[in-house]
Amino acid sequence: MTSQAVARERLASATRATRHQKAWFLDVAERARAGEPYVLANADAPHEILRALGLPYVVNQWWSSIVAAKGAADASLAAIAAMGLPDHSRQYDVLPLGALELPPDRAPWGGLPAPRFAIAERSGDVTHKIFERWGRRAETESFLLSRTAAVPAPEGWWELVPDRWDEVFGAERIDFLRDEFDLLIGWLEERTGRELDIAELARIMALANEQAEWNRRTRDMLAAARPLPVEVTDIIPAVMVPQWHRGTQWAVDAARRLHDEVAARIEAGAAVWPDERRRLMWIGRGVWGDLELYRSFQEEFGAVFVWSMYLAIAADGYIRYGEDPLRTLAARFVGITDLLYAPPMSSSWYAKEADGHGVDGVVHLVADDTPGSALITAALEERGIPVLEIRGSNADPRVTGDLRERIARFLRDRVPARPAGR
Amino acid sequence: MTADRPVIAVVGNDVPRQLVLAAGARPHRLTGSWGEPDAEAQELLGATDATAAHILDELRRDDHGFAGVVVCSDAHAHVRLFYALRATGASLPVHLLDLPREDSRAARRFGRFQLDRLIDFCTEVTGRRPERDALREAAAAERRLGEAIDALRARRRAVPPQCTGAEALTAYLAALRLDPVDASAVIDAARSTADGKAVRVHMTGSNHPDAAIYRELEARGCVVTGEDHDTGDGAWLGVAVDSGDLATVIDGLLDAHFARTGASPTEYAAARAALTVATSERDRADAVAALIRDLDEAPLWDVADQSEGLAGRGIRLVVRSRVRGGEAIDAAAELADELREAVAA
Repeated sequence: MTSQAVARERLASATRATRHQKAWFLDVAERARAGEPYVLANADAPHEILRALGLPYVVNQWWSSIVAAKGAADASLAAIAAMGLPDHSRQYDVLPLGALELPPDRAPWGGLPAPRFAIAERSGDVTHKIFERWGRRAETESFLLSRTAAVPAPEGWWELVPDRWDEVFGAERIDFLRDEFDLLIGWLEERTGRELDIAELARIMALANEQAEWNRRTRDMLAAARPLPVEVTDIIPAVMVPQWHRGTQWAVDAARRLHDEVAARIEAGAAVWPDERRRLMWIGRGVWGDLELYRSFQEEFGAVFVWSMYLAIAADGYIRYGEDPLRTLAARFVGITDLLYAPPMSSSWYAKEADGHGVDGVVHLVADDTPGSALITAALEERGIPVLEIRGSNADPRVTGDLRERIARFLRDRVPARPAGR
Repeated sequence: MTADRPVIAVVGNDVPRQLVLAAGARPHRLTGSWGEPDAEAQELLGATDATAAHILDELRRDDHGFAGVVVCSDAHAHVRLFYALRATGASLPVHLLDLPREDSRAARRFGRFQLDRLIDFCTEVTGRRPERDALREAAAAERRLGEAIDALRARRRAVPPQCTGAEALTAYLAALRLDPVDASAVIDAARSTADGKAVRVHMTGSNHPDAAIYRELEARGCVVTGEDHDTGDGAWLGVAVDSGDLATVIDGLLDAHFARTGASPTEYAAARAALTVATSERDRADAVAALIRDLDEAPLWDVADQSEGLAGRGIRLVVRSRVRGGEAIDAAAELADELREAVAA
């Protein structure tokens, strides 16, 4: 088998993860239809608390990505508009609310019944209003945690964040969120009759750290590998499905298997595109409705996407060590989106990652709800790395139509090809 | 209260003026403009309400004359503005006031921490920490302003109104930049006779950085008798705690903060709709109008609830949304036509 054939073969980790997730989802949905409670939680909600309470949860943004990938975004947004709500605002956050209105034969994987609880942080100007809507459903109650702004916001946070997280985020912010966790836990305990076992939470936290350490090793390996041995579209599900099962042994094992599989491909000399001439970074959320996009520039430009935030933030963003599991958990979530979006934390990190991966050009998908994009772009361009900024929602097929043409033009005009063999 | 005190610019509607005044500074709220923003400022902020880009542009100039700036985290656009100022090396001291929205013991503790840090910032700017007499003096002056505002509201809701919406909004915007003694005088002076046959309009939606839209509406057969946006009746003016003890003042200000219905980006849609219904009835409005700027997302999410709540009281809601810089006056003209037709029908 050629090196490219090896690389083109789908990662077993990706296949296994997506198969596992679908089976898990169908089971959760079936149990929910039978009356068992489940939680719809935003990606930045403290999932570990739900896991420790034995409450299954579906991540809003993950489900949104499935709705988009299965071609149900238009119908879901139409359902949002039918409620009198804007269908051009926060599409990625709101698709699951719209998808709830789709008949089972039009909803991805038969759809998802209404959750018993909907939990999120109050990010931006609208999340609380979306979750207010969830909470109006007869079957659902919602809980909103506070979001504090990124003060302080040190550069080089990735070195500090595993142990010195008070310095990165500020002790008062962490204490505030930790106290709100107490409110959330009491709220859930009262409604479910369950009781949080703090030792179980500590065990979950330890497993989550173990998973993050494997992700860090995998990211470091991929950063150093030339040429790229694995498609980014395989890495994303292989990292993100376990991310949503964070704190389980299955997720740790999945992260380790991904690491081992990537190592084996590097060892075998696998190459996604043997004549690799341009190494690209994709900043922003994935275009789930068109994953083929990421392979579209190999033949003409020798361009491969070597980086997405999904593995990188899994590697750097989640690790937290500490004695008090709840305070440590608060330190995990108090600023996790700041790491991606609040300058200079975000801009310095993307620059570090671009350097580490030997990136030649960046495609930067800027959603309306993500701040700091201009400063991220500026930080990269100051390093001589050209950036194409595209504004729009990854979840809205109406705004991603001409991506291929724009990226091709960018590669042709602004990203010179490397000499062969370098 | 002296006129030559240092001026601290304020972005947003969360700053308790009593604390800034007692520290020896004058708060000066910046509100931006309806016009097209500076391209570079807009680029720095990304997809945000254009008023924030106007404010950023103003703060990045060397001739602003402010001794410092406090940015409130009461809108995502403001948080972005703070990040942009911090990252690009602002020419003046910058501070973020990050008050929680939902009352709890934890939120109050964090709120106290935030107000303590605000006082520290003001003290660094002025060299003066709020003392007992200064707190009391600021409270008295700010409360007097509150009384003047109550009287202005009463004049506006009279039949016929004894102050036009444009004049009232102009007075509010001036008051947001003035010492409370001067602000009270401006508010007291806002008196004019409005057309008793004009369509009485309550304004919701985006806040109004200047009175251009009100003037357009009122030139076309409407009169704005009140509003629930945060540069008019919703502005946090005239709120103070009568005490010389700083801890008591802070606790009282937090009581007031958690008790008010905040601007759309901070509130649930149901709370915003309830406020719109209550205040439009209080103002004896014939109709409610919302002019919502492009990328000012939060008010869009209130419209369904507002529409339903107002319909239950027989009041029409007329909306123009995604209004871009430079399009506002035309949108206001259309709004006025639709409001007159709605009321005639």
